[in-house]
Amino acid sequence: MSSPGAGRGSAVVRESFVLPLAFLTVAGAGGLRLAPGTGVLSFVPPPLVTLVLAALLLGVMVRAGLLVPSALMGDERTTLENTSGAVVTLSLFLASAQLFTCLTPDSGILRLVFNLFFLFLLWNTLAAQPDRVRLLRSLVVVFGWAYVVRYVALAALADPQGGWTRRLITVLLEGASAGSLEGEATAPLAGYIAFAALALYLIGLVLLPRARPAGGTAMVVAVPADTLE
Amino acid sequence: MRAMKPALVRLAGLVLSVAYAAFIVSVYARQPRTVQQIAGGMAAAVGAYRVDPVNFGDGLRFFHADKFVEARAAFDRADPAHQDAVTQFYVAYSFYRQGWGRLYRDEALYRQGVEAVDRAIAHAPGGRLSVADASLGMHTADELRAELQRGLTRGLGDLNPMAMLEARK
Repeated sequence: MSSPGAGRGSAVVRESFVLPLAFLTVAGAGGLRLAPGTGVLSFVPPPLVTLVLAALLLGVMVRAGLLVPSALMGDERTTLENTSGAVVTLSLFLASAQLFTCLTPDSGILRLVFNLFFLFLLWNTLAAQPDRVRLLRSLVVVFGWAYVVRYVALAALADPQGGWTRRLITVLLEGASAGSLEGEATAPLAGYIAFAALALYLIGLVLLPRARPAGGTAMVVAVPADTLE
Repeated sequence: MRAMKPALVRLAGLVLSVAYAAFIVSVYARQPRTVQQIAGGMAAAVGAYRVDPVNFGDGLRFFHADKFVEARAAFDRADPAHQDAVTQFYVAYSFYRQGWGRLYRDEALYRQGVEAVDRAIAHAPGGRLSVADASLGMHTADELRAELQRGLTRGLGDLNPMAMLEARK
């Protein structure tokens, strides 16, 4: 059985090390691109639209209670604790922006479609006001599907030797689009890196500090002993 | 002492996070193209990066024998992270000499030369680089960069027949 002190200690370690390092890793890996064939690296900074999406996502997290600002920053915390909380929030924002960059195609009409897809889904989620658990499930589904489309379906479409996956997608999309849908070539390793970044981001979200249970207020009235008789 | 511990943990976490964020920002700013370049950048940041002297010597030997492709291959092995100013200067010089012609300048090679000399200038202390090599016609990175830029600029001077008498530096 762990003592309250040990629990507080692990919370401090989580807030000071685990969360910032996990989110910064996602922020770094999210913009990594590997040229298919050559494997040459390039690092894409977050486009402006992903900053807007990240801000919206953080707003949704706050509404759902997944991100609790008072658990990271507040008057009752010391300056160091507030700075630590600010680092977690900032790194979460950067990780969110770069995760959108990672899951969105780099160019073409599909880039616009993906961004609109994210925008409307987040807007819808904001209106639905889900709780913490439901928002987490919703994010797993949204990001999971975006990952599958970007790194499995579109990669297969761009691969001339995509095999049955390519044929299946081509058949499914036949008639669904006015013209032929162009895929986006990605290096196989890029898919693994994106998967790891997505998993790390979701783990980080689960580890975010939760709201403290509201404490009860005891009203104590001092009564002189002689009046009790 | 026990009360100090969480504060120390937070402080250590803060320092590590800031250092990690600075590393990521520097990677995005430098845009390394290979994993070796990332590793070399990290080693250079802590002053642990060293050029391989044997490969650098091979590169110089090829360079002086006008075998520029071989020279660049050797220089690339000597400085895989492209962090050494002198090596990058020689790489740029090899692009200049290979691209130089009495009647024309190879623009693709000159462009790669500009990229290499820019790296040399970026890694030289204070952006100032001078190489004491008697076989070279230009000893500073600034001269080399200006010469490469001149080769990429088109103008009426290109029609001057006297330009054919100009010697390779």
